Amino acid sequence: MRSLSIGATGMLAQQLNVEVISNNIANMTTTGYKRQRAEFQDLLYQSLRRVGAASSDAGTIVPAGVQIGAGVQSAAVYRIHEQGTMEVTDNPLDVAISGDGFFQVELPNGDTAYTRSGSFQLNADGEIVTADGYRVNGPNAVPEDAIEIAINDSGEILVILDGQVEPQNVGQFDLAIFANDAGLEAIGNNLFLETPASGNPQTGVAADEGFGDVKQGLLESSNVNIVSEITQLIAAQRAYEMNSKVITTTDEMMRTTSNLR
Amino acid sequence: MENTIYAGLSRQMALRRQMEVVANNIANMSTAGYRSEQMLFVEYMNEPDGPGYGNDDAVAMVLDQGTVRDMRPGPMVRTDNPFDVAIEGRGYLVVETPAGPRYTRNGHLSLDVDRRLVDGSGLPVLGTGDQPITVPQNAGDVSISANGDVSADGQIVGSIRLVEFDDELRMVPLGGGLYVTNQMPADSADTELRQGFIEQSNVLPIVEMTRMIEVSRSYQSTSRLLNDEHERQRQTIRRFGQMMTA
Repeated sequence: MRSLSIGATGMLAQQLNVEVISNNIANMTTTGYKRQRAEFQDLLYQSLRRVGAASSDAGTIVPAGVQIGAGVQSAAVYRIHEQGTMEVTDNPLDVAISGDGFFQVELPNGDTAYTRSGSFQLNADGEIVTADGYRVNGPNAVPEDAIEIAINDSGEILVILDGQVEPQNVGQFDLAIFANDAGLEAIGNNLFLETPASGNPQTGVAADEGFGDVKQGLLESSNVNIVSEITQLIAAQRAYEMNSKVITTTDEMMRTTSNLR
Repeated sequence: MENTIYAGLSRQMALRRQMEVVANNIANMSTAGYRSEQMLFVEYMNEPDGPGYGNDDAVAMVLDQGTVRDMRPGPMVRTDNPFDVAIEGRGYLVVETPAGPRYTRNGHLSLDVDRRLVDGSGLPVLGTGDQPITVPQNAGDVSISANGDVSADGQIVGSIRLVEFDDELRMVPLGGGLYVTNQMPADSADTELRQGFIEQSNVLPIVEMTRMIEVSRSYQSTSRLLNDEHERQRQTIRRFGQMMTA
């Protein structure tokens, strides 16, 4: 019976759903994490009685045929780039983007990656780097004798050197925006890469038209809404159970058949 | 003499197919834009010939006449993805395939390599004038209005075509959320798009579960009927046999 394998496709789909939801819950407190959603499609259909077929020689047609679907398949797992909540950390090198845009990060292989996670640090040369030590595009090295770092809404980095009163501008964060944020490829470590689906990055600086503001002393936490994740988890688990019930019921029907004399 | 068994058998075959339809509904409980299906049964009258049968002794068999789709809209969920659109009303989106236009209710769209607006399977979504909609290279902000206008950074770059059909039941599902029909599409005036929302599947899990229990029990009772009938025939033959030897 087909319903055995239909039930199996349903269980597989719900398993993927649970995996995506559990990854969201696991990354609940990951800075700059964007939640994901699993998307499903129905599988192909088999027509046992074709709709629109002639049902008599007088020209009458079958108004609704018999089509039996073969189950469900996973179509996509896509990311929802909605603004996460802001968390005050008071760390001068913690920056969050309020609005659209990504920080540009130089990967060791020379490629550019994009991130929303602005928990930056200084490396030995005074350069602003991510938690993995990758250089952030835009600002120049912060001089060694800087005693205070201030970052304004446009992403300009102003440092006060020891013994000086006037702040010194050491550069500005380069930001990038994409036409389709959902098309970005996640490579882990809070980093994204551009893909044909995301479109080419449009670069600029914070507070430009279309770009968000840079906020110092704040971090953007994940946009996972725990209540909705838990309710979705419950729904997915129940859906999984119902699909397993389909298999049990099919099994019972087959047993009934084999018990016939 | 075998009519009871054949009538029961026709019922069981129909029930098996109904079980498959229910299973498919349950499997697609989380499929965006999916419409739940139901089996439609009719009575098929069979007039057996032979001695002992009169004109009014027709036997009613069960025939699965068709599957009908439940056309109620599914619940809308907010996704906040700018390329997700939920369709409110009777309309369908038109997508281009090598085999001709296909229609879908699944509004999970995205951009492809050529920056065309495509559906979840990568098929271009057609705009008014049956041309794919291309989002310009450096567009930062894409919005889709209720009547289907797609604008990038405030400039309208195309309008998504929304069509409707006289008889939605005659549309054949192809999988992947696509439908095909030989009816002529008519532009739908009162269908609206909701950006950032997705229409969920309209499967009602509780209804499907009850239907499944019903199918399972009917299958069992038909099976019992067949067993009883078998028993009856066996006893008849045995008694006849005893009468002959007596």
